[in-house]
Amino acid sequence: MHNDQHEELLSLAAAGVRLVAEDALEYERLLAEPCAECAALLPELRFAATSLASAVPARTPRPAVKEALLATIRPAASLAGGGPSRRSSPRPSAFAPWAFAAAAAVLFVMVALDDARLRRQREELRAQSSDLAQRVERERSELARRDLTTRVMESDDVRLLFLGGHGPQPNARAKVFWSEKAKRGIVVAGNLEPLPADRQYQLWVFVDGKPVDAGVFDADASGRALFESKDLAAIRTAENFAVTVEPRGGVPQPTGPIVLIGTPS
Amino acid sequence: MNLRRQPEDRDSSDAALVAGMEVRDADAVSRLYDRHAARLLGLAYRILGETGEAEEVVQEVFLYAWRAAASFDPSRGSVIAWLLVATRSRAIDRLRTRRPVAAAEPGGRDPLDDLPAEGDVEGGSASREWESLCRGAIGELPAEQRRVLELAFFDGLTHQEIAQRTGNPLGTVKTRIRLGLMKLRERMRPYWTREGNA
Repeated sequence: MHNDQHEELLSLAAAGVRLVAEDALEYERLLAEPCAECAALLPELRFAATSLASAVPARTPRPAVKEALLATIRPAASLAGGGPSRRSSPRPSAFAPWAFAAAAAVLFVMVALDDARLRRQREELRAQSSDLAQRVERERSELARRDLTTRVMESDDVRLLFLGGHGPQPNARAKVFWSEKAKRGIVVAGNLEPLPADRQYQLWVFVDGKPVDAGVFDADASGRALFESKDLAAIRTAENFAVTVEPRGGVPQPTGPIVLIGTPS
Repeated sequence: MNLRRQPEDRDSSDAALVAGMEVRDADAVSRLYDRHAARLLGLAYRILGETGEAEEVVQEVFLYAWRAAASFDPSRGSVIAWLLVATRSRAIDRLRTRRPVAAAEPGGRDPLDDLPAEGDVEGGSASREWESLCRGAIGELPAEQRRVLELAFFDGLTHQEIAQRTGNPLGTVKTRIRLGLMKLRERMRPYWTREGNA
């Protein structure tokens, strides 16, 4: 489906507007949608945006710019044995040995400087990219949190259950927002201890006194976790909840220590 | 001069030069440089306002094209569009490194007020005719739409920064960018081909 909002996002992207995180996410979603009109419009808008660049008056670079460029790429071209450039190169006998040495020294310095600059730029870009990825990830988490919260909070039968620390993690705390109609719960936990890479926290719902797997989750570096349970439509009613430490991916029945446990209010 | 044909014809031979670069033909990059360096320098200079730095950007772009020739995908656009995007991206990166966006100069130059082209390039008259056509298309935009597009494209600002700079609400900025670009799209449509040109 195509609308003004889509056109707006596509226009922002095509015009090279730096998208803020919210728009970037929306743009990603839009591109992922099967929208033939959007797919056709985007390249046309990009082409239109290119006319902004094409309207700028051309300026002739100084000859030294091209000379430096060719001095940088010609060694690679020679090594690769590529193209007509080898045929058009001056014959070696046209130069004295000292001229070769001087040219080689100049070339070496130019290449070294160029490489150093490119390395610096690559590092800067890498850092910027990393920052951006972290920002997007934070925004994603925040959006996910809001979305989950909204879905559960809007259900008219939501129950709030407190889980207390147990066994090896007495300081752990969690709240479970449970919707009996939706048969889904949201766990908001804190003070969880970091686990080895091969371990995960696993949520259990007790039905008729027996644990039913409700999914696995990880805590972040600060010991917090936000987790939506599996769809538990098959269960009759949730009596209690517990969290254990299990092998990554989870197990059908609890095997590890209980670290959080509660009682339905 | 048939402008509808000219960019396509130019682009097919540009693509051949890029293919030559892929097999390390230094003459190919030399010819591509002769064709487009002036236009790329014009763009880099428009963004950076400093010739030496703009020339460095042009050199970087051709080095990038030389090294990444194999990654050029003609189905995604023309060679000149590829080079212009790379030029804009590098120049904007330098602009951001040079000064925080918040401290950016007020106002902003209008490319239509810039000096005319210096010297000539290969296929210069066709290039200037194309440039003139693009300037005409942009010149037809309402001033407020042109302004926000220029702030986005040449100053690399987010729409929020554009809103701060122009004193307009965010929604207005977004709408103006959309309307401006859609008008440009309509105006440039006769020259658009699916294979791309510039």
